[in-house]
Amino acid sequence: MLRLSSLVRFVLTILPIVAGLLWVNPVDLWAHDGQGGHAGALRLELPEGKECVKSAEWMRRNHMDFLKHNRDQAVREGIRVKTDSLKNCTTCHTSREKFCDRCHTYTGVAPNCFECHHYPK
Amino acid sequence: MTMATLERRAVLGLAGALAAGVTLAPGMTLLAAPAERTEASAGRRWAMLIDTTQCAANCTACTTACRKENNVPLFGEPSRDIHWIRKVEIRDKDQRRPTVSLPVLCNHCENPPCVHVCPTEASFIRKDGIVLVDEHRCIGCRYCIIACPYKARSLVYHETKRGAESNPDVPIRSKGVVEKCTFCVHRLDNGQEPACVEACKGEGKGAMLFGDLNDPRSEIAKRVHTVATKTMRPDLGLKPRIYYQGL
Amino acid sequence: MIDEFAAIEGRSQGYWKLLAGMGVLLLLGAAAFIYIEVNGHGVTGMNNTVVWGLPHVFAISLLVMASGSLNLGSMSTIFAVKHFKQFGRFSAFLSIVLLAGGLTVLTLDLGRPDRMLLIMLHMNFRSMFTWNVFLYSGFTVLCFLYLWSMFQFPQYTKAAGSAAFMWRFILTTGTGSIFGVIHAREVFHSAITAPTFVAISLTSGTALSILLLLASFRLTARELDLRLVHALRNALIFFLLLVLYLLVVEKFTKFYSPAFYAVETWILSGSFAWLYWGGVVVLGILAPLGVLFNAKWGNQVGGIAFSSGMVVLGLFCFVGFVLIAGQSYPLDMFPGYEVSSVFQDGLEGSYAPTLVELLLGLGGIGVSGLLYLLGIRFFRLLPRKAVVPQGWDVAWRP
Repeated sequence: MLRLSSLVRFVLTILPIVAGLLWVNPVDLWAHDGQGGHAGALRLELPEGKECVKSAEWMRRNHMDFLKHNRDQAVREGIRVKTDSLKNCTTCHTSREKFCDRCHTYTGVAPNCFECHHYPK
Repeated sequence: MTMATLERRAVLGLAGALAAGVTLAPGMTLLAAPAERTEASAGRRWAMLIDTTQCAANCTACTTACRKENNVPLFGEPSRDIHWIRKVEIRDKDQRRPTVSLPVLCNHCENPPCVHVCPTEASFIRKDGIVLVDEHRCIGCRYCIIACPYKARSLVYHETKRGAESNPDVPIRSKGVVEKCTFCVHRLDNGQEPACVEACKGEGKGAMLFGDLNDPRSEIAKRVHTVATKTMRPDLGLKPRIYYQGL
Repeated sequence: MIDEFAAIEGRSQGYWKLLAGMGVLLLLGAAAFIYIEVNGHGVTGMNNTVVWGLPHVFAISLLVMASGSLNLGSMSTIFAVKHFKQFGRFSAFLSIVLLAGGLTVLTLDLGRPDRMLLIMLHMNFRSMFTWNVFLYSGFTVLCFLYLWSMFQFPQYTKAAGSAAFMWRFILTTGTGSIFGVIHAREVFHSAITAPTFVAISLTSGTALSILLLLASFRLTARELDLRLVHALRNALIFFLLLVLYLLVVEKFTKFYSPAFYAVETWILSGSFAWLYWGGVVVLGILAPLGVLFNAKWGNQVGGIAFSSGMVVLGLFCFVGFVLIAGQSYPLDMFPGYEVSSVFQDGLEGSYAPTLVELLLGLGGIGVSGLLYLLGIRFFRLLPRKAVVPQGWDVAWRP
């Protein structure tokens, strides 16, 4: 007879080991570099230009899906839309540090686009 | 933007997200100005013809141009350097033919074994026949390197950094993923030829000819149909699209 | 039934020492993983010619042994050797823990392990790797069902055991096919590569089971009938002869065709010949056979344990040879020509494993060992005493 209690004890013993190993996830440790978090109000340098390719309201919520969708389309289908490219963002949002990075740090997300892709500091 | 607006947006929550999702999903990019839009054409088959009689032994214009264009670094470790294109010297074992120097790059096969073995579909064939690695999707399992008979692929063993001389139009090489020649797909989509071909022309040799095999009026289609050419390891049945003339 | 099996007590100092030892291996493996993940594969000995190194050798060896460990269970469930029924639980559980260890190493050696789950989102069903994802997970489920049926539903044991038995053949065929299907690599591209993997899983799985049973029974002061060990010895001899047969057939076929002269001569006399002859042939097959066929050693526990150890090491040598030599042999890109370039074309690959790779590989053994030690303590996997009835004996002895 397989006793449920022995199964539970077995799982409970393994669980802390697995949890411990996941806890020291190096990706997370390195992602934030120890800075960031909600310290004071978020101040972004807003662009001089007129309207974004979509409404600002929409972009705030969806720019990540928008960029990712375009990324997959560009890489896999060769569909390249000049206005929707990451490169086109730089025409108005000239500084990554003062716009993208500030909000990403504030909200505690670490997208890795710029590890490889170029965006003006 | 202040904190207050951010919070309000958070409260707006689900309704806003749903509305955005509806507009986001179907054919989002199609809404943009059509003139500004390019797409890979299924009717094309990009290919390259290399005239080995025109390729000088000491010339590395193509490989240098490739490194510059695609931010391919040299680590200084011969076994771990990344080579999208390299010059290979071949000597007849029976010494009946002269030694030939020629560039070897990804053959963009019609039946690419690298694509067949890739577990995540990170390696794929684009509609116009170019074999590409979606570096956002590659998990770095390296099975494709095992499967490729041309040693066209390299794993990026070290972190690379963007420098002043880096090409801003192309990402730098990402540590832990597999890399290879893209036929300079970013240039093709922009109506330009691959960097190696351009550099070879610049040397005045014109050993490399690039074009669309499916277009009967193209120079490469004419040459491939009239001149004797060879591909690498035709016995494997991969149908490579790099043709060598003069071997 | 219930009385026959008992969890081990697990209070002795020896048990805790073993547990701690496996824990240390696991932690060192985890540290090695983090080190490689942060610094990139540049800290390993791998390069662009030999892209799969020591971690893969450990991972694939563990996976091969995982399917082989099901032997003892299959022998009772499928082949009705009823005296092995008492090892059924042990066998199915060992399969699961070895699989866990092997898969851990395999996934942690990825270039981008953080993207591991992408394999679940985008599947390429033409890839041998994707197939293996299903083969491994299916095997785990079947082994668990088999194990569960042995605990609670004996009426389903035959069905679950048969399914697991069938699956293990497909599983190891899949593992061998990772190599066998690759046309570009002359060393291991062959239809016989996968069957050889199956055969070597039979030898190594049985050998590891012998070692673990001997150790577990001795350390817990339980009785293990020598005649059972002799029966396992006979099975091991049979499997070893099978591996030898497949290797001979392969070499015979290849040497019959002039197209393979170059690569086969390289295998038998090139820079990895020491591993082939010393590791695969002598350590993995001939030396164990010599010991097991010896009238004195072959009947002693020590001799059988020693040759089992050699067989397990032989498996590591076999997988190491297939992987490292298989990748090192230069690709024949222009047949009839000698090639040379700055990318080491035409040169044999070189590979010198580093300590971190070894630690990562040993981490997999740590995972399996830890799970095994915990398993025999929490579950009634091992019989109180393993005996056979009076008058029964093995059909043959050296």
